[in-house]
Order: sequence, then structure tokens, then C-alpha cells
Amino acid sequence: MKPAPFDYVRAKSLGEALAALGDDAMPLAGGQSLLPLLGLRMASARLLVDIGHLDELRQSSATDATVTLGAAVTHAEIEDGRVPDPGHGLMRSIARKLAYRAVRNQGTIGGSVAMADPAADWPACLVALGATARIAGPDGERRVAVTDLIEDIYTTSLVPGEIIVSFDIPRLHAAAKTGTAKVMRKTGAFAMSFVVAVLHDGDQADRIVLAGAGRRAERLAETSDAVAAGMDEAALRAAVAADLAGLMDAPDDYAVRLHTAVVLRALAEARRS
Amino acid sequence: MVEHAGGWIGASLLRKEDARHLLGAGAFVADLKLRGLRDVAFVRSDVAHGVLTAVHKPDDAATRVFTAEDLAWVNVLEAGPELAAFRSGPYPPFASGKVRYVGQPVAACVAQNRAHAEDLAERVSVEIDALPAVIDCVDALAPDAARLFDGWPDNAFITSRVTEGDPASLAAAPIRLHRRLRMNRQATVSLECRGIVAHYDARLDELVIHLSTQGPHVMRRGFAMALGLPEHKIRVIAPDVGGGFGGKNRMMPEELAIAAIAMKVPYPVRWIEDRREHLIASVHAREHVYDLTISADTSGVLLGIEGDVFVDAGAYALWPSGPFMETSMAARNLPGPYRIRHLDIRTHTVATNKAPLGPYRGVGRPGACFAIERLVDEVAHALGREPIDIRRLNMVTSAELPYDTAGGLRFDTGDYPAALETAIERIGFSAVRARQKTGEPDGRVIGVGIAFYSEQSGHGMAEWTKRKSRVVPGYESARVRMLPDGSVVIHVGVQNHGQGHETSLAQIAAHELGLDPDRISIRYGDTATAPFGFGTFASRSIVFSGGAVARSCRMIVEKLRLIGAHLLQATPDAVRIEHGRVLSATGSVSFAEIAAAASIRQELLPDGVEPLLEVVSTYEPTDSRGVFSYGTHAAVVAVEPETGEVEILDYVVAEDCGTMINPLIVDGQIQGGIAQGIGTALYEEIPFSDLGQPLATTFADYMVPGASEIPAVDIAHACTPALVTEYGVKGMGEGGAIAPPAALANAIADAFRDIGVRIDETPLTPRRVSDAVAAARSAHAAQPSEAAS
Amino acid sequence: MRTITLSVNGEDLTVTVEPRESLADVLRERLDLTGTHLGCEHGVCGACTIEVDGKATRACLILAVMAEGRRITTIEGLRDDPVAAVLRRHFHEQHALQCGFCTPGMLIMARDLLNRSTPSSEKDVREGLAGQMCRCTGYAGIVRAVLAAADETTSTRSPTP
Repeated sequence: MKPAPFDYVRAKSLGEALAALGDDAMPLAGGQSLLPLLGLRMASARLLVDIGHLDELRQSSATDATVTLGAAVTHAEIEDGRVPDPGHGLMRSIARKLAYRAVRNQGTIGGSVAMADPAADWPACLVALGATARIAGPDGERRVAVTDLIEDIYTTSLVPGEIIVSFDIPRLHAAAKTGTAKVMRKTGAFAMSFVVAVLHDGDQADRIVLAGAGRRAERLAETSDAVAAGMDEAALRAAVAADLAGLMDAPDDYAVRLHTAVVLRALAEARRS
Repeated sequence: MVEHAGGWIGASLLRKEDARHLLGAGAFVADLKLRGLRDVAFVRSDVAHGVLTAVHKPDDAATRVFTAEDLAWVNVLEAGPELAAFRSGPYPPFASGKVRYVGQPVAACVAQNRAHAEDLAERVSVEIDALPAVIDCVDALAPDAARLFDGWPDNAFITSRVTEGDPASLAAAPIRLHRRLRMNRQATVSLECRGIVAHYDARLDELVIHLSTQGPHVMRRGFAMALGLPEHKIRVIAPDVGGGFGGKNRMMPEELAIAAIAMKVPYPVRWIEDRREHLIASVHAREHVYDLTISADTSGVLLGIEGDVFVDAGAYALWPSGPFMETSMAARNLPGPYRIRHLDIRTHTVATNKAPLGPYRGVGRPGACFAIERLVDEVAHALGREPIDIRRLNMVTSAELPYDTAGGLRFDTGDYPAALETAIERIGFSAVRARQKTGEPDGRVIGVGIAFYSEQSGHGMAEWTKRKSRVVPGYESARVRMLPDGSVVIHVGVQNHGQGHETSLAQIAAHELGLDPDRISIRYGDTATAPFGFGTFASRSIVFSGGAVARSCRMIVEKLRLIGAHLLQATPDAVRIEHGRVLSATGSVSFAEIAAAASIRQELLPDGVEPLLEVVSTYEPTDSRGVFSYGTHAAVVAVEPETGEVEILDYVVAEDCGTMINPLIVDGQIQGGIAQGIGTALYEEIPFSDLGQPLATTFADYMVPGASEIPAVDIAHACTPALVTEYGVKGMGEGGAIAPPAALANAIADAFRDIGVRIDETPLTPRRVSDAVAAARSAHAAQPSEAAS
Repeated sequence: MRTITLSVNGEDLTVTVEPRESLADVLRERLDLTGTHLGCEHGVCGACTIEVDGKATRACLILAVMAEGRRITTIEGLRDDPVAAVLRRHFHEQHALQCGFCTPGMLIMARDLLNRSTPSSEKDVREGLAGQMCRCTGYAGIVRAVLAAADETTSTRSPTP
């Protein structure tokens, strides 16, 4: 289980990284998802461009309205509260249950989004928080909502040569309520179902975001509307089923039971928060 | 070290093995560094079943790629029981003619390191014409099923039958329940994967094989026969072995290939199995299907079991034993501890296009225990009775021991109902029943499950010849050598790989010799230094190797007595031995002085006494049908009915393994075995696609339970010594792994017994549990009156 | 191939590697530090856990070239570490190891856990060690040992740097 050969360069600046990312080159940050894929020879690259230490990607900042997290901020830094949390603790609590500490110490939020695993935690969280990614590329910079950046299973709109630099994440309203729920085969495993619920976020619509069901983390539109409308549990269940029918190719009965239960659990936690 | 008040037998002596591992200074196969070492990567079949039409070596590396053609000189080992009815296809190191499972080795690539070897392996092209894959062991027996081996009348390695009593009488039984139960396929998952380093030592003119194995001596025999070398020209060394659990006790094609290649190249070759290889192509385990009918009378007395047991044995029989033991042990253990007198079980050991099945902690019995203990609960449910009452009614009592079961086992000593009652009490059975009535605030549902297991151990010649084993592990050996300073080195033929033999066998020697265990070293794992032995498996080491150590030590003691008495100018019967000294009425002499006389001062020896204090002896229990450890597991679970998540709230074991040499190690074996049993029950599975592709090939898909998944187990001991072993010990390494699937399945079923949930397949993944509950709920809703009766 | 200098257990070691070589492979194969074990090579089993810049890290999921200029500590570098010493003693007393293959990674992770916080409950310890597979012990002895070590070291541990 050793990767095929590749070259490696540690970029000294974002500019140098962008210049190095030509054909068949891949950016490498924490490596916690990419290196296993390379080792299994399920992915390959001519060149890895190490961007994990770049200042531009390591910086975080905050205004009253927005928190900006560098893409190379690690899961552990979020867990430990070393960077601001726009979700009033939501991101810390998600980080705490993401894989294992030794993985969290190296893995980055940007890497997680770029990998676009349909069961991953950060895409669901960032979609729920309405985050926007700032992306640098050979033709300059662009911004795109995370919900649009991730297009499909393991697929983003990133083109070769582009790097996620940071995420701009609107702060939740002080009165917002959040909840998460995750069902895993075991502690630290990828989610079978993961839900982030954000309610009462000022004048923003409620967001119930589900990962592990469809081809990417998505806001459950009907469910979110039903929650906002204060519908009863039966109506909520129907809404989740309707959303799942749109999200999955023919969800089986178990998928409906599982994801419905996880949605309800996340909602209950949000209401308690 | 401080001697235990009762002596070294029964002392929870802290382990001698720990120090090196705690420093990271253990020496595993992959840690070995030999000059000029080359690594090997295997090219493997990516097709489950097909005709291998061509293997193309890259032109520039042809001498570093080895295929079936290059190893055609390697002899094929005949494997499986010595039964005429057992069929076995040849299993050469590399596929030849056909490939029969995904992961079967096709070629080996040698390079300066593993990465380069894998680069080379990618350049070897393999052409296979795919054939239909046989992946279900029941369907595999259909007349129109594709055949793995030409010339076999069907895909069965062997079909057999276990009958006892008068099964025909069962047709009239008032209660007859038919159930189909399944225990799925899994891997053994030692944390250290397999590994081998082999080189030809020109100075000694011998092939040296460093191998992560449970049995170096038996493996040497396999290597010798396959490679056509005399055994004195092969040395097998097992260094620290990072777990085995059965998975490192068969001759595997990769290991044979490496040894064969090492004979042909002028450098050491190494293969370290990676985890993907382990999950795809190492020993697979379990995969039983039970299609059974249990009969009982209306009072709950269990009468008999009829039906079929299918074991999916994969594509080949592994040397030496092959897969039949899995099936026969499952069938023979089906009656459990109950007075079930009528048995008619047809067994089918079936070849499929999967990796070969091998032993894994518990061998056969986790499936049998799962089947019988689920059936007992089903009978109780059908009668509206408590499962514990049906067990009380049917369980063999101590007054009935020794008891010959319908499956042909002879239960020796113990008190089975006492273990049941202890478990019932410790789990708080009635408190759980009360709690169930009030319901859980979080919507989960609580269940309690019970399962009894027994564990045959210390079985010798009588049992293994009955099984038609081609290697009969009916004894163990120990060479005890007292050095000139009175310290002791003992070489044994068993193979410690976590069991703590360096400690427990030293305790036995300390007890016999009257020495501190610090003065005793236990050595193993090298055919050049240890006497022949069979290795560590089948919960045999403490009985056999412990017995051999005791026996050899006693022979040393007799010689110490003889020489010591002479030095003290006393007669041998006038001296006694205490704390490393021989004492007479008037004086004493230390073992060191005696050992010095025996080794380097022969003029001090009595006439006619040979120099040296060195003894090799062997040991087999006086009755070789085996001694049985046993116990009852009880579990409380909380089940989330929608998601199917299962949390273990409490887990209790009440067990009896006879005399414990080291209770600390015994508890460790129980707790560790239960963790593996929980893996089988809830987590671990290698499913296959319709094309025969294994679908759990990394730890992302194959779930090994972690610290959060395994509860601390409450262990209660009883001690009924065995009558036929040294000190009354019984083996107990496997028992922990046998009962958890049954106990947990019963607990989950208990949680939903009101709606008659069917819990019949492991692992009980969230999906299986949730589906079972949903099915029961909808059936219950459809027929409320019947289900409520 | 490229020549890099790695700071391992306080010593600067110069070694020539391919970029694709994991730090675990370089430690084991080129620097002969074989206490770092490989159990899965894809980051799940935890046997290869070491410290990089004081942070517990999977040595199989970091390239040696990525580790240049960073401070690497392996089990061999913790012979005289006071927290590791306490853990070792309790691991020994609580029978927290059998085959020993998971032990180095387990100790490093347990030490990391103690250095970051004081796990007060069994649940904390179990979650903290969830990424460290042990196939032999069933974890009970490990959990007891870490709790006992946490008790003993509460007063002596330095706060997280």
C-alpha cells in the first residue's frame, strides 16, 4: 500500500503554489484524505504542491458579521477554539467528533471540502452556515458558495490549478439555535447520516442540512420549510421523505428511517440549545 | 518479585513481556533488517473466477517477477482431513490454469523496497477470461451452479452427517420451530498483518525463514514438504508476533512463494502483508448458514435438532487441516449444554470463489452457540416462557457430569447451572425486566440476552485422530536447562503471541523448581533451539505446554535432589527443596552450587550421575478427549429502533476455566475475546458483490470495534479443577469470543420480543436491526391479535 | 530522491528519501526506529501514531518530506518522558497490552490525551483513544491504566504549551 511515485514541492507563497500547480499536480495540505487514496493507488499525481503551511491559508479573522477561516486551518484548531467559531460552538462540537484526534491535528477544513466526500462533516456544516469559499487560481480569485462549489460525489467546481484559500462564514445570529446528529458504524468512522440544523438565525431561513444520503451535503428544502412552519412530527417525516426522494435514487426504507431519525435528533438538539 | 501467598500458581504476576513493548522495543518480523533485503509485492487476481490465460512480465524486469511457471517445482501440499470423502483442489503458491478468488496471488515482484515492488506489479499484465462466480454457499450446491473444480460432482469439499438418538421421533414433537440463521464472513485482523523474511544462509546451508506465525515447527514441516528440502535445512523463526487469533496458523500461498523465491535469489526477500491484502486475501473466518428445526415438548424440554449446516469455506483447503473442522465442530457443538438427545445434522463444507476459510478464535463454536442459543430463546418465546427458565430446565447439571453430548463431546467437570445463575444475578435480570416495563425516556428499547458456551481444550490424540487431522497435536514439549549459575532457560514449542507465556509458564516452572520467576526465561519461536511442538491455537498452550514445563522441571528437581544430597552427604530421600536450595537436616546447598557442579565441576558429582541439568519431555493429559471451560454471558443492550444503533449497557461473564495459573492473564483473555466476539456480533463483515468482489477492503469499510464500542466486562470466576490436567487447568483463550454473538442477538431480540422480531444474522448492523424491527412491526400491525397472544 | 534533515527525538538526522515515502516508512526503514508500527497505512488503526511538533500524528499519513523542519517524537524518544513513564507503569499493572503491537501508538495517544486535558471519566478516555485499535485486550486494561495515570499526573503535568 505505497503510492506511485510523485514529486513534491513545498510552496513558499500562494503565488508560487499557483505557479507550480500545472498539469497533473495536486495541492496537498494535511494529506489525511489524499495520502490514503494515493497509497491505495486510487489516485495519482505527478506533483504534490504542499500548501499546508502557507500564511494565506493559515490565517483566520473575524468581523462582527463574518468569520474567515483559512483553508489550512486544522480540525483540531477548530476543536480547541484556536480560531473563531461563527456558529457559537457549532463548529467546535462538530470538530470534536470528526475522525480521530491524530487525524484532526493534520487534516484541514479546506482539504475536507475539496475532497467532497458525500458523508463528510465540514461540507454539511459550511452549507448550513452559508459559507463562501475564496478560491485562488491562475486567472485570479473567485468566490463561490460552498453549496455550489461541491457539485457531486467527490466532485467540486475546482479546476486544476485552483486552490481554496479560505472560507467566509457568516456569524450566526446570537439567538440562533443549532443542533447536530450523526450516526456512525463506530466512533470516528464516516457518517452513515449526519445532520446540521440551524434555526432562528435572524431573518435567515432555517437550514436542515444532510450528509451521507445523497451525492453531496444538501439543505433539505421541504424539511427546512416544514420546521420553519412549525409543522408536527408526522408532517416533518413526510417532508424528510420527500426531500430524500429528491436526493437519492430510490431511497430504501432503511435510508428513510435512518435519515429521518437523525434529522429529528438534530432538531431536538437545536431546540434544546 | 513478591511470591503470591498461595505460591506462584494463581498469582496475578505482572507480565515479563511488557517491558520491551512499552518501550517500542519489541521485534516483529517487519522490524528485522537484513543486508541486501528486497521487498515483494504480489500481483493478485482481480477476478473471482476465471481462466488465467496469460501473465506478461515486463521485459526489463523478467528476472524479478515470479509466476506459477517459475515455481512449478514447488510441491503442492495435500490439505484437509485424511478422509476419502474430502475433496481438495491443488493450491499452488500462484494461480495456475484458473483463478478462484479475488486476491489470489498470480505473481510476485521483487524490488529494492515495497513501493518499487508495487510499481513493478502494476506493469505485470494478467489476462483472465472470467467465469461465473460462486458466492453463496447454499446456492453453490445447486446442480446447475458453476463449478470451481472440474471433476467434482458438486462444489462441496465434503458433505457429512451427524446423527444421534432417534431423530425420526422428533416429527411428532408438539413444538417444532424452523429458523434460518447466518453468521457472515469476516477477517481475523491481527493488528500486525502477516509477514515473512526469508534468505538462504550459505554458511549453514539452510533456508532461514522469519515468519509471523503461531506454529513455527509445523510450518517448517510444510515448507520442507513443499520445497523438497529436508527439515534440517530449514530454520523457522517466529519473533514477536502481533496477534494471530487463528489467522497465522496455516500455510499460505504468499509465504510459500517467498520461501521458494528465497531459495533462488542471492538476497533476503521480504513480504509484509498490508491491510488491504489482509482483508482481501488472508484467512477469512465464520460464514455459516444454519437451516435448523428445533423440537421441544410443551413443558419446554428440548428434544432435538435437525437440519443443515453450511460453511462457506472459500476456494481452497489450507494446509494442514482444511476447512472441515469448522463445519464438524459447529455441528457437534449444536446441542450446547442442553440435554438434547436427538440430532440429525447434515453438514456441507462448500467451495466458493472467496478467499479460503481458516480458523479464528472459537472455530465453529461462535456460529453453533449463536444458533442454539437463539433457538432456545425462540422456543421460550413460542411457549411464552422466560428464556432463562428454558435454560434452567434443560441444562446439564453437575450431578450429570461427566456428560456425553449428542454431538459426541464429553463434558468433564463444572457446574453449568451455577454459571447461569451467577450471570443472571450479576446482570440484574429482574431489574432489567422492571426497567423494560417503564420504558426509556430517549425512545430506545432495552433488551437482555443470555448465552452459554463451552470450550473444549487440552484435547489430544483421541480427539485429533477422531477428526482425521493430518497433523495430530496431541502433546507439547519443554526443554528445561539449568545453567551453571542456577538460572533456568526453558524452550517450548508453543508460540506466545500475546498470551503471556513468558510469564505464566515461568510461574509453573517457579512453582516446580522453587525459584523466583525472575530466574527463569521462557524461550520459543525458533526451530533451531526449541524441541518440536505444535504452536499456540485451540486454547491448548496452558494445558499442554504448562504440563510439559511442569514435567521437565520435576525431572530437573529429581536430579538436583540427587546431586544436592550427595554434596550434603545425605541420602536423596533425606533432603527437601525450598527457595532454590536443597536442604538436609544439617545444611543446605544452592541450585547455583549444584548447577555449577553439574556443569563445570564434574568431580563433585556422585558416581553414575551424568553432568548437565537439561531435560526434554513431552506432556499429554491423561484423558485426551479434552477438558471444557464454560461460562454464561449476559448482556443488556439499548436499541434505537429507527436507526438500528445498538449500545451495550452492561456485559457480564460468569465462567469457570478450572485452576487459573495467572488470573490477570485469564481476565485479559476473556475481555479480549469478548471484544472480538462483539466485533463478530455487531461490526465485522466482508460482504461480496454478485461478481465476487470483496466489498470491505480497508478499515474505512471493515469495522473493527474501538474503545468506545467495547464495554468493560464484569467477570465472575468459579473454579472447578480439571481432573486430567496438571494443576487442574483448562484452556480458556477462545471462550470470550464464542458467546457474544449469541448473547447480543438474544438481547436485541429480547428488546422487541413483544412484536416477535427475527434476529437471525450477524453482524447486527444498524441496517439489519432496523430492518428486522420494521418487518416485525409491520407484521405485528397486520396481525395484532395473533402476535399479541 | 532528495536529501532532507529530520529532527527526530531531538537529533537532526539527514536522510535521502523519495518524496512518496511516508514518515513512518522513513523512520522504520531508513532510520531504524521500528517502534512506530504500521497496522493499516490508511490512518484508521493508530499503531503508527507519533508526535509532530507536539501533536499526535499518524506517521503513515504524513510524507517524510512534509516533516522536514518539524519536531518529530517517536516512542523511542519517550524513554525518559515522565508522563510516558507513569503510563508505562500503569499499562504494566493493568495488563493493558498483550501482543504489544498497538502499544507504542496507544502510549503516545494516551500521553497526548493526558497532556491536553484531564480525562475524568471512562467515556472521555474511550473517546480519546477511539482512533487506536487494540485487537487483544478489549481495551478495559488500557482504560483503567490511563485513568490511573491521569489521577497520578494531575498535579505534575504541565499545561498545554
